[in-house]
Amino acid sequence: MTTQDGALDLAESTKVKWRQYAVTAGRIGLAVLLLLAWKIGAERAGPLYVADPVLVAQRIVTGISSGELLYHIYVTLRLSVIGFAIGCFFGVALPFVLRRMPRVTNAVEPYIMASVGVPKYALVPLFILWFGIDDAPKLWLIGFLVFYPVFIAVFAGIRNVDRRLVNMARVAGASEAMISREVIWNSLLSFFMASLKIALPRAVSAAIIGEFLVGDAGLGYLIEYSRQNFDTVGVFVGIVVATALVLIINAALVWLDRRVNAWRPTERDMQI
Amino acid sequence: MSAQPLLEVRDLSKRFASRESRDASLWVIKDLSFSVRDGEFLTIIGPSGSGKTTLLNMIAQIDAASGGEVRFKSESAPINDPKSLNPGLSCRIGYVTQEDNLLPWRTTLQNVLFPLTVQGRLNDETRARAAELIRHVGLAGFENHYPHELSGGMRKRASLIRTLVYDPPVILMDEPFGALDAQTRAVLQEDLLRLWEMGRKTIVFVTHDIGEAIALGDRTLVLSRAPAKVAGEHQITIPRPRDIRGIMSHPDFGPLYQRIRAQVQ
Ligand SMILES: Nc1ncnc2c1ncn2[C@@H]1O[C@H](COP(=O)(O)OP(=O)(O)OP(=O)(O)O)[C@@H](O)[C@H]1O
Ligand SMILES: [Mg+2]
Repeated sequence: MTTQDGALDLAESTKVKWRQYAVTAGRIGLAVLLLLAWKIGAERAGPLYVADPVLVAQRIVTGISSGELLYHIYVTLRLSVIGFAIGCFFGVALPFVLRRMPRVTNAVEPYIMASVGVPKYALVPLFILWFGIDDAPKLWLIGFLVFYPVFIAVFAGIRNVDRRLVNMARVAGASEAMISREVIWNSLLSFFMASLKIALPRAVSAAIIGEFLVGDAGLGYLIEYSRQNFDTVGVFVGIVVATALVLIINAALVWLDRRVNAWRPTERDMQI
Repeated sequence: MSAQPLLEVRDLSKRFASRESRDASLWVIKDLSFSVRDGEFLTIIGPSGSGKTTLLNMIAQIDAASGGEVRFKSESAPINDPKSLNPGLSCRIGYVTQEDNLLPWRTTLQNVLFPLTVQGRLNDETRARAAELIRHVGLAGFENHYPHELSGGMRKRASLIRTLVYDPPVILMDEPFGALDAQTRAVLQEDLLRLWEMGRKTIVFVTHDIGEAIALGDRTLVLSRAPAKVAGEHQITIPRPRDIRGIMSHPDFGPLYQRIRAQVQ
């Protein structure tokens, strides 16, 4: 009985392993194809329009070893993180405050939802006018762009909380603060994590766009400065590094999501 | 025991605001009155939809009443205003709800410890009591499982001991053994009776099952179809300690069963 089960398990697990190998091989193949397409495109379009990937790679290596590229990355990351923290804080805190005042919520909600429609990038000139040309206008931009997805998700999450769980917690003697932290927060965590998948890459994009417009460092500045000097390789370096940054952030988010939602049934079923 | 009842329900009424105003006057419960003595095991039986859960929700102060009052130790609680509700009346009224309402992100043990945690009563003694209860209801080995990894009956048992563990003087139970097989059900009924006989809690126990109502209770109330009223009241004279599995052969059982069944309709 047990040996049979063991054999079955073994067959099943080798099958799974082979499937995983196939997926990995497919991914590597796709990456090679993309690089090839880039290389061919560069040769067809000419160095002014598409930089050669080999040159881009070389420039990245020298940029990192000289520390210059690292500095640009640091500037952009720092801006993104601070702006993200501000937007995220208000995006989470505001729904929790509104939860306590249903009437205010009803009055304010249509205005908040309407303000989602305002194109935030169009406000940048105003931010510059109001807040100068330091980090402040860029932080406002990033903050706004992060605030909305987080606010909407957390707001919906709070509406979605199972009232029976809240009642159970109340009967058990939990204070309102404990209910917010334990029941509400955990119930809406998956909403929040989903909103981060939008908000975090957005924060980086917004930082880069902010740097196009004002500033003298950062990946956005690097891209724009290179363009002005017809340095297409520099433009591509900025794009590649920014993309890598976002991919790394996404990977970190997926990892965090797994950890936070470890208890969820779907997360485990999806493994195979 | 004492002349003063511990829990008193007076002219309690409830209607739900319906989406369309046309049947706004549909009363689920109308002028319901009864009282529970300190240390009494009261069973309530009634057809599905008769308002049993609604009644317990109002006693636990989860839901506001539309009229009437509930008195606890002769204090009248203002339960007609949703804003002044005091759910669980300061941890003195425990409530084992019809659904298990376990927190899905907490393991079995963490769920059972939840009330103690939020009440700030987590210590070696209460932890030992929780472990003891977990073993008692057959959940040993499942302490670190999440609710979705438990069977429906196991979840029910976890939710039952989550209330027992903090030892409130009054416990409301809404069909706690509904989803269990006959064997487990009998074991848990025996356990509940033993715990009750040791601690003499006051228990209000809602069930569909006439046999269960007789086997456990000192007294059984029969509720009518909505709007719920007391359709009958029966003292269960079968002496304690009772033998749950053999209770049907007790001479008083048959006649009681017949009388109650005639009223449950
Ligand atoms: N929130 C609500 N809004 C409107 N009607 C409700 C609400 N809750 C319950 N009801 C109605 O009140 C009646 C009684 O419901 P309740 O859940 O108290 O029944 P019950 O006796 O517990 O039934 P069961 O034995 O099936 O659990 C039902 O007709 C139900 O439709
Ligand atoms: Mg019910």
